[in-house]
Amino acid sequence: MNNLLIWPVALPLLTALLALLWPRRSNWIGVAGTGLPLLAVLLVSWQVAASGPLELALGGWAPGLGIALRADGLSVLMLLMSALVTMAVAVYASVYFAHAERRGEFWVLWLLLITALHALFLSGDLFNLYVTLELLGLTAVVLACLGGSRESLQAALRYLVLGLLGSLTFLIGVALIYAGYGTLDMAALGDAIVAGPTAWVALSLMTGGLLIKSALFPLHFWLPPAHANAPAPVSAVLSALVVKAALYLILRLWLELFDGVVTQAAAVIVGVLGAIAVVWGSWAALQAERLKLMAAYSTVAQLGYLFMFMPLLAALPEGAGRELALGALVLLALTHGFAKSAFFLAAGIIMQRAGHDRIAELGGTARSLPVTAFTIALAGVALIGLPPSGSFLAKWQMLSTLFVTGQWVWLPVIAVGTLLAGAYIFRLLGHAFAPGEGVGPSLSVGREEIPAVLLALIATLLLGFWASAVWELVPISAYAGGGA
Amino acid sequence: MMSQSLTMLPDLVLAAMLIGLAWAALSSDDLRRGVVLFIAFGLLLAIVWARLHAPDLALAEAAIGAGLSGALLLVALRDEAGGKETAGRVSQVSRWMVDLFALIMACLIGWVLWLTMYAEPAERLAQLANSMLEHSGVSNPVTAVLLNYRAYDTLLELVVVLTAVLGVLVVGRERRGYRQAGPVFCGLVHWLVPLLIVTAGYLLWVGAHAPGGAFQAGATLAAAGIVLRLAGNDAAGLLDGMLLRWSLVAGIGLFLLVGLGVTINGGLFLQYPEAWSGSLILVIESAATASIAAALVLAYRGGRPDGWLSVADYDNNREVSR
Repeated sequence: MNNLLIWPVALPLLTALLALLWPRRSNWIGVAGTGLPLLAVLLVSWQVAASGPLELALGGWAPGLGIALRADGLSVLMLLMSALVTMAVAVYASVYFAHAERRGEFWVLWLLLITALHALFLSGDLFNLYVTLELLGLTAVVLACLGGSRESLQAALRYLVLGLLGSLTFLIGVALIYAGYGTLDMAALGDAIVAGPTAWVALSLMTGGLLIKSALFPLHFWLPPAHANAPAPVSAVLSALVVKAALYLILRLWLELFDGVVTQAAAVIVGVLGAIAVVWGSWAALQAERLKLMAAYSTVAQLGYLFMFMPLLAALPEGAGRELALGALVLLALTHGFAKSAFFLAAGIIMQRAGHDRIAELGGTARSLPVTAFTIALAGVALIGLPPSGSFLAKWQMLSTLFVTGQWVWLPVIAVGTLLAGAYIFRLLGHAFAPGEGVGPSLSVGREEIPAVLLALIATLLLGFWASAVWELVPISAYAGGGA
Repeated sequence: MMSQSLTMLPDLVLAAMLIGLAWAALSSDDLRRGVVLFIAFGLLLAIVWARLHAPDLALAEAAIGAGLSGALLLVALRDEAGGKETAGRVSQVSRWMVDLFALIMACLIGWVLWLTMYAEPAERLAQLANSMLEHSGVSNPVTAVLLNYRAYDTLLELVVVLTAVLGVLVVGRERRGYRQAGPVFCGLVHWLVPLLIVTAGYLLWVGAHAPGGAFQAGATLAAAGIVLRLAGNDAAGLLDGMLLRWSLVAGIGLFLLVGLGVTINGGLFLQYPEAWSGSLILVIESAATASIAAALVLAYRGGRPDGWLSVADYDNNREVSR
């Protein structure tokens, strides 16, 4: 019982207010306001790893009447990803937006987005989760508007309407749960929820709303335009973190709250949609003519893999086998988060230097921007799933789970998806390493190139070598029914 | 039996009208007509809340749902050329599909709600909330939930309001104001604005022990601003520059600082000392009222005012001085 858990939420919120009051200092306030929560998150992670799940009953009221914040292995891993990615992107953005007209608004909204992400990962109350989802969706939409072009406004409006539809559906599910079980506290609900009409309808509604937000095929159509037309730092966090927040909630609901309610049939439906997303998204990425659009379609595909884990998890009994599979899912999500944010930052650097991001005209990039080309290659390794990246280990574990559960049918999907990912990455690298005028002469290493390459290194090397830490953290659960 | 069905009759008529208005608002081809129907729907919904013994919700629905949303929708329509916009054409088939889907979902949700509310009701939190009321610092249970038991939700909801307004400011410049009103309307404004301000103050104060509170008071205060703008005051009674930003930030800032401040004495985040909780809640609610009103009026103005977040002006000056 301590107040440590509020700091990852309170610090970015407080600095957001300061950035609004003193816009001329907003570059500094923004970077500091991203760095301080990172320290808080590191402290929280250290405590969770050392002494198990943490809980903070806000206002001193017992959870149920009041709201509890909880941190366990899963939320700590998501928090770490969010804090590290936002830190790197903030350093990048301080260069990207150094002279932009709207940088005052950018930093305020940026810090509010971090507030929303951290509040979501820490929340232990269903209605509070709805509020954080609403805040996250709204900050993401407004940040996506900052591009200012007509396309970005149109894409942001569609994103807004679908996001509201998603949160509204989620809210109806929450209302049903409260009507049926008389509490919103997730720890109490984990014990209380039993299979029945209330649980089924509520779970379907909440999952439906979250699937819109996590852009699972065929609800993905809003994602590519919204992510491709936003400014580069914004695209990076939208693709790496915001869609993962909805996925995190689906994991919480399916594995911990509604543990006995989820049927194999429902899991297979989600898995099939994930499989279609993998093949279709990779194919669309291969066809894409613009770098950022390619990255956005690749996000659709990579999210598909994560949903393909659902039938595997549902088929496994609780215990070590399921934890291995869950760890692989989380590892894949983390690797994608780091790799995709690195990729979008690199795309932003190319766009700023070259003035366009048409893949066919990127010749000469490797010579004039060697660090950025290296970043794209490293991130590509993680996106395809080559060793030593974290996604290689995750896919390996996924394959072995396929053999254990006997669900061979998914095997060709993984093979085709990986081959297509290889194809679109090597197509891009082929153009980038080809001779040509490309992006013009510039051999200097810019301050904005370093965060991108660091993110790519985390995805490819750090998560590969330290993957065992992920598998150790995942079983630390604060909720009954899931984990150990 | 007979008398019971007779008292049920007005409620049934109310429910039928509510559904009818919702349907009419959604299916209207003329957007202006749809908005007006939506406002009527909001007012009727407020009556329904009152019938259901939820006066707090009725107040909020009337002030925010019908009043301010209606004003925002109308002013958004005014931006479009001529205001004769028609709703985007959707093919008849897809419209039927959506209707059918909505109907099925409504039946399903209704059935489950009936199961949980009447067939096998569960123990819910109202009793617990009432029994802890004496420790909360206020005697209105709704205020106790919003500002004490679940104060963290309210804090984040204030952040949602701020984000929404920032969204409005990011998208474009402020829309043009109205021309100076004639003497009759000005005379009305001289009465109406002070009255609205006093009402807002009353709603804020009374929230501690009766229906009312920061959101309703903020909406009423915002209504005063909107009336001012309609009468030709372009700033709608708002300050500008730094002071405007302070008024937007005040509610969240104070809330957060109080929440963090009580931890110094060894309390948990937002755990007000029991003797102080009544006053602390009033202070937080007052600041929140000002911030909500500023945010809503700024949204009504429809974009960023000149000199908002003067980063750009600063850059321009620097360019010139080189």
